This record gives sequence, structure tokens and C-alpha cells, in this order.
Amino acid sequence: MAKRIGGAGKSGGGDSNILARISNSEIVSQGRRAAGDAVGVSKKLIWSTGKAAWIAGTTFLILVVPLIIEMDREAQLNELDLQQASLLGAPASPAQRGM
Amino acid sequence: MADLFPPLVTAQIDDKPKVDEKVDYSNLPCPVPYEELHREAYMSLKPDTFEGLRFDFTKGLNQKFGLCHSVMMGPTEVPSQSPDTVIKIPTAHYEFGANYIDPKLMLVGRVMTDGRQSARVRADLTDKLMVKANAQLANEPHMSQAMFNFDYMGSDYRAQLQFGNNALVGANYIQSVTPRLSLGGEVFWVGVPRKSGIGYAARYETDKMVASGQVASTGLMAMNYVQKVSDKVSLATDFMYNYFSREAVASVGYDYMLRQSRVRGKIDSNGVASALLEERLSMGLNFLMSAELDHKKKDYKFGFGLTVG
Repeated sequence: MAKRIGGAGKSGGGDSNILARISNSEIVSQGRRAAGDAVGVSKKLIWSTGKAAWIAGTTFLILVVPLIIEMDREAQLNELDLQQASLLGAPASPAQRGM
Repeated sequence: MADLFPPLVTAQIDDKPKVDEKVDYSNLPCPVPYEELHREAYMSLKPDTFEGLRFDFTKGLNQKFGLCHSVMMGPTEVPSQSPDTVIKIPTAHYEFGANYIDPKLMLVGRVMTDGRQSARVRADLTDKLMVKANAQLANEPHMSQAMFNFDYMGSDYRAQLQFGNNALVGANYIQSVTPRLSLGGEVFWVGVPRKSGIGYAARYETDKMVASGQVASTGLMAMNYVQKVSDKVSLATDFMYNYFSREAVASVGYDYMLRQSRVRGKIDSNGVASALLEERLSMGLNFLMSAELDHKKKDYKFGFGLTVG
């Protein structure tokens, strides 16, 4: 993937030391660009994952949580009825079911 | 658990014969009224969510006569120019109403502190003929409306004639074709603006499911399907398409009718999720909570209320 464009990076600057030559070279600048792109893409990814998580989370809270709570209460009520039925030997009448 | 908010116009009960091998075509059941074709679907998919506080107190004075008081406080939406912004104005009002309910005659009247009044009358003139009238009066000029319907119920069909103000005339007819399938159509003509339209509808129902569809020349096409998973749970889905403006909306919803509560939720393809929870705190006391999230417009509405009696 690394394209060598006529070796333009290496010969700039005369007797610059090896570090400057390396950091001005083609590969390194391409690598820097790629790293910048990667940071940008990952920022966008984190941002959109965050948005999706927010939408999914609030929708779950509104649609599913009340249902789970009510189904739990219904299950408790059923258990109570079963207990009363086994205790008294007859199903509990609606008048006894209150709070 | 039965409807906590019984509809003001009770539907005629159609008694289905038990399933047997041979279909008796001369003895088909009476179909559901035309405006209640989508009744089961819209019970789950269009819960009446509200924003703010709602308090309803109904007091029955008699077997047939009752008064009701209700207070509603909360923001109301005002239509704005751009579809992106929503303008909400906080309002509060009190409504007083009286109901007289008889098997043959039903009268309902309401008056509100902002000057609006509404009245509904439903009378059974004979066994088969029923008259309904509905009027709403408002303080602003040209905002009052009235509508009169005459319904005739035959052995396996229903016909209805409608007259409204602004010179609205309409008629619709629905017929049972088999014990499960009923087909119907409607025509209407409006004076202002001069428009007329025609529409067709079909409804197929079994013990476990109801499917219905409707097409109208105003560009509306709607199809919905409801599955009764058990006697407590039903799931519904709906698809609406406008073939002039090429917009489609699909939604999915559920309806759980438990002994002490009723939970309804729905999610839409416009990014709207809404839910309504009605809980019975004790005999005659119901607590309501409603929520609606519109993720596209970022408009969130929450409401809570109490219903006594």
C-alpha cells in the first residue's frame, strides 16, 4: 500500500541528522496521516455507538421495564393465590385480593 | 382485565357461530361497524398518551346518570412552520361533564374552562336503526363542528349515512362475505374544499388473529394485523402508506392486560417509542403513566394521571 513517490522525502535538507530524515520520510508521514484518520474514525465510531446506546437504552427503559415490573407483580400475585388456595383448600375470591 | 376506559360508543357484539364444516351462507354474522374495522389494532397501536397531569373523577349519581370532573395541566403543541421544531405552550383547564347512559339512549356532554363544549348523542330508534350525533363548539369562529350519522344494521351487513357541517356527506357499507371475512366500501363528498373520495376495506378475523386493510382515494393505504397470543397478551403491527406523497410508516406494538394493570407499548419507523401504563391501585382508583420518545425530533413527552371512579 505504501506508494513511493519518487523518493521525495529522503533528500530534503542536506546534512540533517538521521532522526530528522526519518521523521520527514514518506512512510512516516503516511503513517501519521493514517493514525489521524484512525483517530477520526474511531471518534466517530465511539460517538455513533454512544448515540445508538442512548437510543436503545431509553427505548428499552420505556418499552420493556414497566412490562417486566408488572409481570413480576402478576407472578407474585399468582404465587399468593396459589399459597392461599393450598392453605384454605379453595381458590381465593376476588374480594380478598386487594393490596 | 376489561377496558379501563370503555369507548363512548359501544360496538354491537357480533356472535360468531361455532366452527363447523359447512358454512351456512344464509346465516352469516353481522360485521363490525365500518369505523371500527381497525379497532383491535388501534387499541394497541394508538394508546392515548398525553403530556402533563391528568386527573379524572367520575361520580355516578344514579344507575344511568353520572357526572365527571377532570383537570388537565400540561404543555400543548402549537403547529410551527418548520417540521423540526416543536412549540409547546403550557395550558391548564378543567372540564365538567355529564353522562346519561341507557341501553337505548346515551347522552354525553362536556364543557371546558376555555369555552369549548362538546356533546354526543346515541339513540337506538328501532332495533336496527341507530342515530348518532356529535357536536363541538368553540369560542373562535369557524372552529365548531357537528356530525350526524344514521346507521342501519341488517342481518349480515351494516350501512351508514353521515352528514357534517361544511357540507360533508358520506356513506359506507360493510357486508359479511364468509363467517370470517367482511368487505366494505365508503364514499364521501366534502363541500369546502370540493373533494370527493371513495375507499374500500376488508377485514378477516379468526379466534386468534385479526387482519384488516383499507385503501382510499385520498392516497391512504393501511394494513394491520393483530395476533392474540393469549387472552392477556396481544401483539399488533401496522403499515400505512400514502401513495401520493410516497411516505410509509410501519409500527409494532404490544398490549398486556394483566389483572392489576394494563401495559401498552409501541415503536414506530419514524423513531417514536411510546408506552402507556394503567395500574389499578385499589377499587376504582387507577394510576396512569404515559411516555413518548421521538428520537428524530428529540421531543420527549411524559405524563401521569389518576382516575377515580
